[in-house]
Amino acid sequence: MASVPNLVASFDPATSPDLVKRAELSEIDASTKIPALFFLGSAVLWLLVGTAFALISSFKLHTPNFLGDTEWLTFGRTRTAHLNAVIYGWSVNAAFAVAFWLMARLSRSVLRHSGLLMIAGAFWNIGVTIGIIGILAGDSTSIEWLEMPLYATPLLFVAYALIGAWALITFRFGKSGHIYVSQWYLLAALFWFPWLYSIAQIMLLFQPARGTVQALVNWWFAHNVLGLWFTPIGLAAVYYFLPKVLGKPIHSYYLSILGFWSLALFYNWAGVHHLIGGPVPAWVLSAGIAASFMMAIPVIVTGINHHMTMVGSFSALKYSPTLRFIVFGAVSYTLTSLIGSLMADRQVSEVVHFTHFTVAHAHQGMYAFFTMVMFGSIYYILPRILLKEWPSAMLISVHFWTVAVGITVYVVGLSICGIKQGLEMNNADIPFLSTTVPSVVTNTIPYLLSRSLSGVLMTIGHLAFAVNFTWMLLRPRAPQGTTPTLFQNPPEMEVAR
Amino acid sequence: MSAVDPQDKNPKIEQAGASDESIQQVHSILLREKPEPEESHSPMPLFLLGFISAMVLMVAIYFVHNSGGLSQSFSFKQAAMVYDERFDPKNAPAANAEVKLDPLVLGKKNYASVCAACHQPNGAGVPGVYPPLAKSDWANGSEELIIRILLHGLTGPIKVAGADFNSTMPTIGPGGYNFSDEKIAAVLTYIRQEWGNNAPAITTEKVTEIRTKTAVGRATAWTSAELEAIR
Amino acid sequence: MNRAPLIFLGIFFTLAFSWTGIILTNQLTYGKLEPIVDQTENKSYPEALPGLAAQGKLVYQDLGCIYCHSQQVRRPGFGADDKRGWGDRQSVPRDYIREGRVLLGTMRTGPDLRNIGARQASRDWHMLHLYNPQITSKGTIMAPFPFLFETHKIVGQPSPKAIKLPAPYTAASGYEVVPTPRAESLVAYLQSLKDTYAYPETHNVFVEPAAPTKAEGKK
Repeated sequence: MASVPNLVASFDPATSPDLVKRAELSEIDASTKIPALFFLGSAVLWLLVGTAFALISSFKLHTPNFLGDTEWLTFGRTRTAHLNAVIYGWSVNAAFAVAFWLMARLSRSVLRHSGLLMIAGAFWNIGVTIGIIGILAGDSTSIEWLEMPLYATPLLFVAYALIGAWALITFRFGKSGHIYVSQWYLLAALFWFPWLYSIAQIMLLFQPARGTVQALVNWWFAHNVLGLWFTPIGLAAVYYFLPKVLGKPIHSYYLSILGFWSLALFYNWAGVHHLIGGPVPAWVLSAGIAASFMMAIPVIVTGINHHMTMVGSFSALKYSPTLRFIVFGAVSYTLTSLIGSLMADRQVSEVVHFTHFTVAHAHQGMYAFFTMVMFGSIYYILPRILLKEWPSAMLISVHFWTVAVGITVYVVGLSICGIKQGLEMNNADIPFLSTTVPSVVTNTIPYLLSRSLSGVLMTIGHLAFAVNFTWMLLRPRAPQGTTPTLFQNPPEMEVAR
Repeated sequence: MSAVDPQDKNPKIEQAGASDESIQQVHSILLREKPEPEESHSPMPLFLLGFISAMVLMVAIYFVHNSGGLSQSFSFKQAAMVYDERFDPKNAPAANAEVKLDPLVLGKKNYASVCAACHQPNGAGVPGVYPPLAKSDWANGSEELIIRILLHGLTGPIKVAGADFNSTMPTIGPGGYNFSDEKIAAVLTYIRQEWGNNAPAITTEKVTEIRTKTAVGRATAWTSAELEAIR
Repeated sequence: MNRAPLIFLGIFFTLAFSWTGIILTNQLTYGKLEPIVDQTENKSYPEALPGLAAQGKLVYQDLGCIYCHSQQVRRPGFGADDKRGWGDRQSVPRDYIREGRVLLGTMRTGPDLRNIGARQASRDWHMLHLYNPQITSKGTIMAPFPFLFETHKIVGQPSPKAIKLPAPYTAASGYEVVPTPRAESLVAYLQSLKDTYAYPETHNVFVEPAAPTKAEGKK
C-alpha cells in the first residue's frame, strides 16, 4: 500500500500539485477529527449495547425462561431495545461520521462549525438513550422502527436539524466542480431521512391516520430508512473506498448515474411488500411488488460497476482490511437485494412472510452489507484523523473472521429455518405446537440455537474491534514514517523496508 | 480558511495552511494514499438495454394481471375496497352466496378453531385440566348429554374415562360462541368419528329439538350431576 | 455544483411521487372509511373496544406482543390461515378503523391473534397461558409473564380471582396467585379480538370463471 516513489518525493521542498492536494486532504482530515471521533466513539459504544441486547433476545427465543422473571428484560422489550440501539445508536452514528468525513473530503472543503456537529451528536445520543430506557420501561409505541416514545424523539429532531444545516453549509463551500457519485448518494440520504421520519411521526403518532393507512405509512417509512438512508450511505462509502484503496477509477460514470436514479425511483415504492396478503388494497401491493422487482436494475447495474472496478485486483483482498470489509459488504448488498426482489413475489411471500426468513434478510442488509461497509470505512478513516495506525493486525483479523463467519451462519441458518417454518405453517396438517410430533415451532429451535451461536461469534468480533479502537485512541501519536496495519505485507512493502 | 470561488481550480491560490512547513509535515499516511477516486467513462453494456426493457415489460404485465380491479375499473376508489389481487369485477360472486360444506369438513374446521385449544388437536385433553374426547365415554355416549353441554356449557366436577376433572367449559351455542345448530351437529359428529371414536352421527334436527326443549329457564352451565339425572 | 439543483429536484420528486402514490391516494380513497350499521342486529361494526380491553391494548403494546404475533388473517387459499382456525375470511381495512394504533405485526413466531377472542374465550386459559405458557402450551418458546401476577399469602378467604394452577405449578401451600389489573385488562383485550362481521367488501374476491357447458363450449 505504501508507494515508495511518493515517500521519497515528499522530502523535496518543491511543491507539486499532487503534494499540495494531499496537504489539503490532511488539513481536511484534521478538521474532521473531533466530531468524527465523537460519532465513531458513540457508535462503537452503541454497537456493544446493541450486541448485548441481541444476545439476550436470541437466547430468550429458544430458552424462554432465561431472565424470564424480569419485566424490563421481557423479550418484547429487549428485542426492541436491540433494534433501536443498533439502528439509531450504532448505524446512524457510524453513518453520520462516515458521511461527513466523505462529504468534507469529496467537496475538498475543511469541516467548518464542527461545534454544530458536536451539539447535534450530543442531542442525538441523549435522545436515543432516553428512548431506549423508555422502551425497557414499557413506553414503546409498538410501531416498528419508530418505537422510541414521544418524549425522546424531539431531541432527535433537533440533532438532525443541526446536522442538515451543517451539511448544506459544507456543500455550499465545496471547491470541486464535478459532483462525484458518492456525493449524490450522501446528499440524497441527508435529504430523504428527515422527511421520512417526520411524515411517519406525524401520520402515526401526532395525527394518526385511520385504520390500515397507518400500516402503509409505517412500511413506507421503515423500508425507506433502509433503502433511502442506509443504502445510499453504504453505497457512497463503497463508491469511495473501492477505487481509493485500489487506485483505480470506478468502471463507468454512466452506470453510476443509471444506478442512482433507478434506485431513487424504485426503492421508494417497494416498502409495501411488507404487507403482502394484508388488509390493504391489492393494487398498491402489486405496485410495491412491481417496484421491488424493478430494484433488480439498480442492484445489477451497481454490482457490475463495482465488479468491473475490482476485476484484476482481487489479490488486494489479501492485504487490506478496508477492502475486505467493503467488498464483503458490496457483495452482500447485491445478494440481499436480489433475494429481496425474490421475496416480494406473492408465491414466495406466501411462504416466507411472518417467518424467521425475514429476520435473516433484515440482518443480511443491515449487517452483512451496511455494518461491514461501516467497519471497512472506520478502518480507513481512523488512522487519517488520529495520525496513528491500528495497533493490532491480529485483532482486525479476529474481527473480520468472527463477524464474517458469524453473519454467514446467521443468515444461512435463519433462511433455511424460515423457509421450513413457512412451508409448515402453510400446511394445516402440521400442528403449530406439539411436543409429541414435529411442529412448526419446535422445528425452528435448532436454527434459533445456531443463531445464538453466530451471535456469540459476532460478539467476540465486536469486542476485538472495540479493544483495538480504544487501544488506538490511547496509544501515543506515531512518529513520521509509519506502516499501515494490514493482514499481510504486500510485496512492495518488503522492498521499502 | 476563507471561502474560495468553487470554480477556481488553481491549487496554488488560497491553500491557507498548506504552507511549506505543513507540506513537509504531511504524514506518511496521507502520502501513501492513492489519489482521490474518479469515474471512468466505459460505455454501458448493451445487454443492459435488453434487460431493462424485458424487466419493464414483465413488471407491467404482472401489475395489470394483479391490480385487484384497478386495471379494469381505473377507479382508485373502487380498487381501494379490493383486497384480492386476482379480483375481476365481471366475475364477482353474489353478495350473500352461501356455500354448502360437508359436515365432517365443517366439523373439523370448527373443532380446530374452538375446541382444540383445550381438548387439543388430538382429542387427548390436558390431564387434570381438560377432559379427553378420544375414546371418551362421554363423547361416545348419549347425544342428549353432549348436545346440552355444548348448548349451555359445563361446570364443576366430572369423571371422564376414569379420571377426575373440575373446570368450566364455555357455552358453544347461543350466548357464547354462537354456533348454529348445524355447526354444533357438525362438530359433535366430527368428534364422534375421529381418533378411534366410532359413535353415531348427530343431526342438526336433534340439536334444534334439544335447544328448543331447554330454551326456557336454562341460563347456567350444566353440572355432571344434572346430566346424570337425564341419562 | 451546477448539477446540484437538478439532483435536488430529482431527489425531491422521487420521494414525493412515492408518498403521493402509496399514502395520499389511499388516504383519500379509504382513509375515511366508516363503520357499517347492521339493521337486523341494530349494532355498528366494527365494535368499539370496551374500556378494560382498551387498557389491555396498552399492556399489549408495552410488552411488545406484536414482535411474535401478527393480527391479520390472509385470504383462504393464500397460506393456511383459515385451515388453522385463525379466521374465516381475510382481514379487511374496515376491521381496523376503530383502532388508535393498528398492530398488524410482521412475525408469526406465535399464532395470529386477530380472532383469538373467537377461538379462545376462556379467561382461565389466558391467565394460565400468560402466567407460564408451558402450562397450556407445553414446549412453547413464548416468554412467561409472571410479573403480571401477584403471589401472596391467603388472608381469610382465598380470592375468587386467583388462578387455578395445576401441579407442578401450584403455589406454595397457603399462597395464591392473583392477576394484577394489567393482566385482567390484557386478557379482556385478547378476548375482544374477533372479526366476525361480513362487510360488503369481503365479497370482492376472485371466483373461478364457470366452466362452459357442452352446449356453449364448442366454437
